[in-house]
Amino acid sequence: MATQIVMDRTGDTRHNFDAKNTDALLKAEKRFRELTGAGFTAAVRTASGEAVVKRTFDPNAEETLFFPRLVGG
Amino acid sequence: MFRQPLRNANERLRLFLSERGRRARVLRDSLRWQPDRIDLSSRFVSGFGYGYGKGEARGLELLKEWLSPEQFAQYDAKSYFEVTGCHSGKRYRISHGTSMNIHELDGAGCPCVGWCFAPKGYLVAGDVMLAQKIALETDERGALNVANKFFVPTGRRNMHLPITELGRALAWTSILPRPLTARAPPCIGL
Repeated sequence: MATQIVMDRTGDTRHNFDAKNTDALLKAEKRFRELTGAGFTAAVRTASGEAVVKRTFDPNAEETLFFPRLVGG
Repeated sequence: MFRQPLRNANERLRLFLSERGRRARVLRDSLRWQPDRIDLSSRFVSGFGYGYGKGEARGLELLKEWLSPEQFAQYDAKSYFEVTGCHSGKRYRISHGTSMNIHELDGAGCPCVGWCFAPKGYLVAGDVMLAQKIALETDERGALNVANKFFVPTGRRNMHLPITELGRALAWTSILPRPLTARAPPCIGL
């Protein structure tokens, strides 16, 4: 089961989906495009635990984290 | 005539408050990690207290999952963790918080410049720190381009003085208990 984690004011919202299910995968890809289009950054973790930013949808990613656009404080 | 003593006293007071603030943050975070503790806020404003604490806890859980073991140990012990910028190789300290909580470290490991950036909108502290970590580790230049720089007071930079010197400098003040100077770490986080 793959997960897309979207940061929000409640901490985060998690969307779990079966990466082997075509419909679920399409829905996840749509969500990815909508979020990144809205300015969110998508990041995944490598096997070594290092964070990597993803510009395109990775159907093999077990966990993708989305955080909003960065602004100066 | 009194300008220099006043400046000295002001600096000592600032150091004292900074250290107390750091201790309070460490204590607060250590309490947060205890799942069976009694949440006092929920006694007074039931819905609000629960929701707020839950969101904060979720944010910290997520942060914990994404920190490296070294960063997690550092954060657990000191309420801050350090990351390496992917472009410059510089070290940054991310302290617990949501704003003005990033400090670039100099060669001696002491804060020299402050950077302020965060994800847009309201997010809990754990989420903000995680976004800051990922940004510095994967797109340092992009993060610093949007960030605002802030001045780190000289006194804070000077807090890497050897303990004996720091203790001597603070020794005469009556508001600063002696044991605090004796236990002060070489570099005190924010």
